Amino acid sequence: MSIRFDDVRGADPIAQPPVLAPGHTPASVTERISEAVTTKLTKTPKWWLGGFAVGFALLNVFLFAVTNLFMTGIGVWGNNIPVGWGWDIICFVWWIGIGHAGTLISAILLLLRQSWRNSINRFAEAMTVFAVACAGMYPILHLGRPWLPHWLLPLPGTLGMWPNFRSPLIWDVFAVSTYATISIVFWYVGMLPDLATLRDHAKARLARFAYGMAALGWRNSSRHWANYEVASLLLAGLSTPLVLSVHSIVSFDFSVGIVPGWHTTVFPPYFVAGAVFAGFAMVLTLVLPLRPLFKLHDFITERHLQNMAKVMLTTGLIVAYGYVLEIWAAFYSGNEFEIFMVLNRFTGPYATQYWLLILLNIAIPQLLWLKGIRSNVWALWAISMCINVGMWLERFVIIVVSLHRDYVPSNWAMYSGTKFDVMTFVGTMGLFLTLLLLFIRFLPALNMFEMRILTPEATKAHGEEK
Amino acid sequence: MHGTHPEPSLHGVLAEFRTPDELLAAIESARAAGYTKLDAYTPYPIEKVLDALDLHHSKVPLLTLGAAIFGAVAVFSFAYWASAIDYPLNIGGRPLNSWPAFIPATFEGAVFHGGLAAALGMLVLNGLPRPHHPVFEVKRFVEHASKDGYFLLVEAEDPQFDVSAVRRLLEGLGPVEVNDLEN
Amino acid sequence: MNQGSNPLPEGVETLGRIGLIAGLVGLALLGAGYATDREQLFRSYLTGYMWMLGLAAGALGVMLLHHVTRGAWGVVIRRILEAAASPLTLGFAAVAFLPIALGTHSLYEWTHAEVVAGDAILSHKKPWLNEPAFLGRSAAYLVLWIVLAAVFARLSARQDETGDRRIALSMQRWGAFGVVAFILSMTFAAFDWMMSLTPHWFSTIYGLYVIIGQAVAAMALVALAGLLLGEGPSPALPLQPRHLHDHGKLLFAFVCVWAYFGYSQFIIIWSGNLPEETTFYTSRLNGAWKVTTIVLVLLHYALPFALLLSRNRKRSAKALAPVAVLLLFARWLDLHWLVAPAFSANAFTLHWLDLAAPLALGGIWLRLFTLGLKARPLLPANEPFLKEALAHE
Repeated sequence: MSIRFDDVRGADPIAQPPVLAPGHTPASVTERISEAVTTKLTKTPKWWLGGFAVGFALLNVFLFAVTNLFMTGIGVWGNNIPVGWGWDIICFVWWIGIGHAGTLISAILLLLRQSWRNSINRFAEAMTVFAVACAGMYPILHLGRPWLPHWLLPLPGTLGMWPNFRSPLIWDVFAVSTYATISIVFWYVGMLPDLATLRDHAKARLARFAYGMAALGWRNSSRHWANYEVASLLLAGLSTPLVLSVHSIVSFDFSVGIVPGWHTTVFPPYFVAGAVFAGFAMVLTLVLPLRPLFKLHDFITERHLQNMAKVMLTTGLIVAYGYVLEIWAAFYSGNEFEIFMVLNRFTGPYATQYWLLILLNIAIPQLLWLKGIRSNVWALWAISMCINVGMWLERFVIIVVSLHRDYVPSNWAMYSGTKFDVMTFVGTMGLFLTLLLLFIRFLPALNMFEMRILTPEATKAHGEEK
Repeated sequence: MHGTHPEPSLHGVLAEFRTPDELLAAIESARAAGYTKLDAYTPYPIEKVLDALDLHHSKVPLLTLGAAIFGAVAVFSFAYWASAIDYPLNIGGRPLNSWPAFIPATFEGAVFHGGLAAALGMLVLNGLPRPHHPVFEVKRFVEHASKDGYFLLVEAEDPQFDVSAVRRLLEGLGPVEVNDLEN
Repeated sequence: MNQGSNPLPEGVETLGRIGLIAGLVGLALLGAGYATDREQLFRSYLTGYMWMLGLAAGALGVMLLHHVTRGAWGVVIRRILEAAASPLTLGFAAVAFLPIALGTHSLYEWTHAEVVAGDAILSHKKPWLNEPAFLGRSAAYLVLWIVLAAVFARLSARQDETGDRRIALSMQRWGAFGVVAFILSMTFAAFDWMMSLTPHWFSTIYGLYVIIGQAVAAMALVALAGLLLGEGPSPALPLQPRHLHDHGKLLFAFVCVWAYFGYSQFIIIWSGNLPEETTFYTSRLNGAWKVTTIVLVLLHYALPFALLLSRNRKRSAKALAPVAVLLLFARWLDLHWLVAPAFSANAFTLHWLDLAAPLALGGIWLRLFTLGLKARPLLPANEPFLKEALAHE
């Protein structure tokens, strides 16, 4: 089972590493993947316990930070006029962007019939759901009256008022709640056949019962598959514009306002690209260590890493396109506020953050043009980490650097996050890590039935799939 | 079910095959013999099996389209009604009917309803949730249907159904085993 | 695999002849226009030029995209794209740019020194918007596109001759570089040639909006070429329903992205409500061009969207063709909607020269396109993925 890709690649210059290592059958794929889930609780790997301990500890940091926030108020954060949006919205956008790679992998690549997605789509979808959960914390925490989140929704009440549909913030409520719902639905629907597999193969009685209930009686009937495949494609077809709309609407939160640095028409596609860029970086950040830990080299091959690196490079270039146009348009416009905004980014008090952002987001990812870098897991992981940080800095630059220089110089001020900002952010990472580790321990982290499709036995019977 | 005629309580006859090709051949034989109420069980969707069973008429797309249109119309009408009729309020000098600003929520409404309709429609049309089903009584089905077994079911509802004839047909196709399924 | 060896249908020859005649008639009409209404001629010509460029450069963009992503959808239409975006057609686009270069004074307000001197913003923009820089940049864009087309024509010819499998890799690498260069150059071409018609106004998504329109034009062209070459009992190009389906899906996706870019620009400007930006929409949304805007959204988005939802329509060349024709018309309307209000904000205009220009330029382009189709076999025989691309469902 440990055939390495370069052994099978042969001499053909255009041959690509396989998406599934040779020698697998539907049964071997099923056994290998379900193994991670069906092992006894007492035999849980040590690295998992260690990771979970870290995640759970950080989750408690989150609970502490939130408790403090609820008892004291928003003042514990660094937000103040003129920088009324700080770490909270930076992290909101950061998290929601990370989720987008999951939807891209599961939906868009399904529509494009890219079979290499089959092994990473489940994991990416789970990442989407958990990242949206983390993102969703921020708007609610920032409400100031976090016990009234239902006021965001257009519910009839004694106030007799409705949310303001002219505001991008209500578009956000619709977009993020739809995104969360449809992501969970897509994830769950995608998991149904695999839950049925676990129902059939779990050893413990309780596990069989739990997976059985979750599988809703799925029995791999062709009648099921017929509706199922159509529904999957439809969900993919709906998720694709959905993911574009979500980050476009997030970009509207800024761009429909008239703050210099926010108000530019290229924002929607440039935000979407940035989100996918960050999301793929996060997928790689997580998948690269999981691959040796779960011995997944057969399923996540060099082909996957190469392709993900290429998507990162592409979306990174679109982001760079956005930066270039912003700078060009500021000077072309002749608007003194726009020009000041750009110069302030270049040389103002936050210039370090700006140039670090350019280095991490634009300069370093150019290394991905080199095939040697794309196939070196260490380099790939390091670049992914750079992008994770770079994309956080991008939102910092957009939000804080634009706001801290108001039109009226008497309003100018500096901004920095407080320790509670940091604790909240680190805490959401704990939430993310906890959910993710629970997921890979108790649910099938790789899509078993779609991996069966990639086996030689199935490709022979399947026809259209390659 | 002692003492009564076995057929009314019979769900069908289930045969297991080793490969997709054997299953496809079995489907063809069964169809050639005139059986119409057939179902196959495969560990992953197989286009050719769906073709052979003529299963390409899903109603899920229609449901999804209907729900998406409903969602779009509902959200836009609501936004219009809330902003222009029920509580008209001048916000930033924008018109009461700020239709350009209603479009994002309208779009999300379409996707929300369409997506839920696709998922729920799939479940309902598949008769799920249904935790138990006669096929689960077969030990090898539970062990292999979601791994590496390819099963063909001839249902008792079939107008031509006759247990012994069906068994004879299936046993002649080289199955791993053949089982009668009781309701 | 002996498919693809069938001869080209008669239609190609006929179409080339029609193109030539249309081109000559159009040119005569443009000549008449030059004598009678010179100002109008340049305006109409710019729209017609951008329309024709959309076919040629759009095909170049789609071809580059194909070489980067290497899908089966692109292998079967590679020669159509290569013929549409050949050094010949893009060379023609370079020659056809000359009237615009000569007509800058009629087209672009910022070429008038006295206007610029009395306008602080235009004076500020002078380092970018001045004639030498404009002409230099224009030449650079056109040369770049010709070079890209020539590189791929050459690689493709070498692949046919030698069968060297490494050429596919070179094409992928050039494709990656080409996409970056193409998007940047076309963005600034759109800024220079069209956005600067109203030199005070600017929008950073404008370039992408023009580029995606060109992609729509290119895929509409592919759909029509599919009808011409892929139909009948022994088609010259063995197109299967699944290929058409992919092309239909791309067309659908591009139409949606066009609407998405258009709406993004609109909602950001509408909500921001800044006087320096809203000028673009005041005439198009409330004034004389309101009906054009509604018709444009219907023809370029709503109608093709509804039609292309159907799976069966996407899988049939005959059913796809009317949508493609509609979209090629909508492409012209979109460009007219971008250009004409810059000269006549308060009154809708449609001049006979508006039709003569696309007739002349499109006709000649069509002639060159058919020459390109005839020059080479319709399938790249040594493309490593050809067998996979032609495999039956």
